[in-house]
Amino acid sequence: MTIPVRNAHVRAAEPVTLAAAAERHLDDVYGYLVYLTRDPGLAEDLTAETFEKALRLWPRFDARRGSARTWLCQIARTIALDWFRAEERRRRREERAAPPEHVDAPLLEGLSPALEAALASLSAGEREVVALRVLLDLDGEEAARVLGVSPSAVSTRLSRALGKLEERMDAHVAV
Amino acid sequence: MSPSEALQQELRAARPAAPAELRERVRLVVAEEPARRPSFVQRLSPRRFLLVAAPATLVVAVAAAGVIGLTRPGSPDEIAVSDAEPGVAQSESDSAGSLESGREFTTPPAGGADAIAPDPGRLQRIDAELSLRVEDVEELSGATQEAMRIARSLGGHVASVSYDATPGGAGSAQLALRVPTARVQNAIVQLSALGTILGQRFGIQDLQGTVDELARQITEAEQRVLQLQRQLDAPNLTDDERASLRIQLDEARRVLAELRRQRDGTRAEARFATISLGLTTEEVTSTPGTEDGALDRIVDILLWEGLAVLFALVVVGPFLLLGLLVWLTLRLRRRRAETRLLEQN
Repeated sequence: MTIPVRNAHVRAAEPVTLAAAAERHLDDVYGYLVYLTRDPGLAEDLTAETFEKALRLWPRFDARRGSARTWLCQIARTIALDWFRAEERRRRREERAAPPEHVDAPLLEGLSPALEAALASLSAGEREVVALRVLLDLDGEEAARVLGVSPSAVSTRLSRALGKLEERMDAHVAV
Repeated sequence: MSPSEALQQELRAARPAAPAELRERVRLVVAEEPARRPSFVQRLSPRRFLLVAAPATLVVAVAAAGVIGLTRPGSPDEIAVSDAEPGVAQSESDSAGSLESGREFTTPPAGGADAIAPDPGRLQRIDAELSLRVEDVEELSGATQEAMRIARSLGGHVASVSYDATPGGAGSAQLALRVPTARVQNAIVQLSALGTILGQRFGIQDLQGTVDELARQITEAEQRVLQLQRQLDAPNLTDDERASLRIQLDEARRVLAELRRQRDGTRAEARFATISLGLTTEEVTSTPGTEDGALDRIVDILLWEGLAVLFALVVVGPFLLLGLLVWLTLRLRRRRAETRLLEQN
């Protein structure tokens, strides 16, 4: 049994059930979380957690206030931020005992080593804006809604992130 | 192709895809989608809530004002005045249909005199206001003369007359008539026939209690005078005692005289009823009719409601602003913490 989405007529292309939304936007959510966390394994767990939360919140989803994809990304971001906070607390505790070893895990398959390295050098905040605007191809308004900032702030962040990527790729090639 | 576009293409080409295992896991999660409809509260977005609540509040406020205004004759001011007067008689007449606490009432044009039946066994102060419309200035003059004649014919008199009219134009007259209380009904009936009744207002105040109390005090004062006289008649008084008793006797006589004056004044008041008669050639008079009065009361109540809302805003406003400030501060702090967290990862 599925829950009909309110005002589904507003966005004809919107999936009318969470199952359909999950089918259509799973890759988007997963890709966004991979970029945000730089850990595909963790991204899988957070993606599953995102859909668990989405299941609870689905009756409150209003298609007029944004697409299902934007809504799912907002949930994914909240879940990821919670994880970052928990991770920070854990790291602080462990640092008191012994400094952790820094491991750079490969982010994605199919990326050139230069781009891989450049992407890894970006902060999570920069990577997420690249993910939303480039990878998921959200427009400025949608990305702004996910990030909770203005569209102009999204543009600034994106151009800064892409600039850094180019800069660091060039530096990598030069080395 | 710019370096940025090439870079973006490469990123898109290497877009991560969810593993089959994760897809299956998510499929299982969303398969538990519950079969319940969203509740009313869940469906009520803040915007929708405002869209419903604002007009609903307005409708309730106006409806409440309408109900109260239509079902409660007499303005709050009138009620306060009549409440402040002690000993006002309870009228059992409900024929007027607009009885205000049985004390002061406005009657519709028909049958107004029936509502003002004095109780012959008690002393009562009766006030009546009658507002009439006449056709033109000529009729106004005739009605004014006739009203004075009616008052005199019933054994009363004209306390004051104010007449203001321009030939062929508009005009009005205000008369204060004093007629014997026993004939007030007769007077009202005759005066009502002088024009079209625009409004009537009657007030009956019971004075019997006041007179009874004055009578008791007079008896006491008389006894006091007699007692002092007897003491003065005693032969063995010193000059000082005699002088003191004389002073007391003079004071007791003065009190007695004052009490008698009050009693006589009150009785005189009860003998004559005061009828304020307003005559006008205008369509609208200053004395509100039942419908006008109801409208005024509705407007008054709406004003009071507005004042109450304003008061609530003034009282609650600072707290709301403080709450908003706290919320904005917390939001800003959360944003900064998020930004810092994302910069570190």
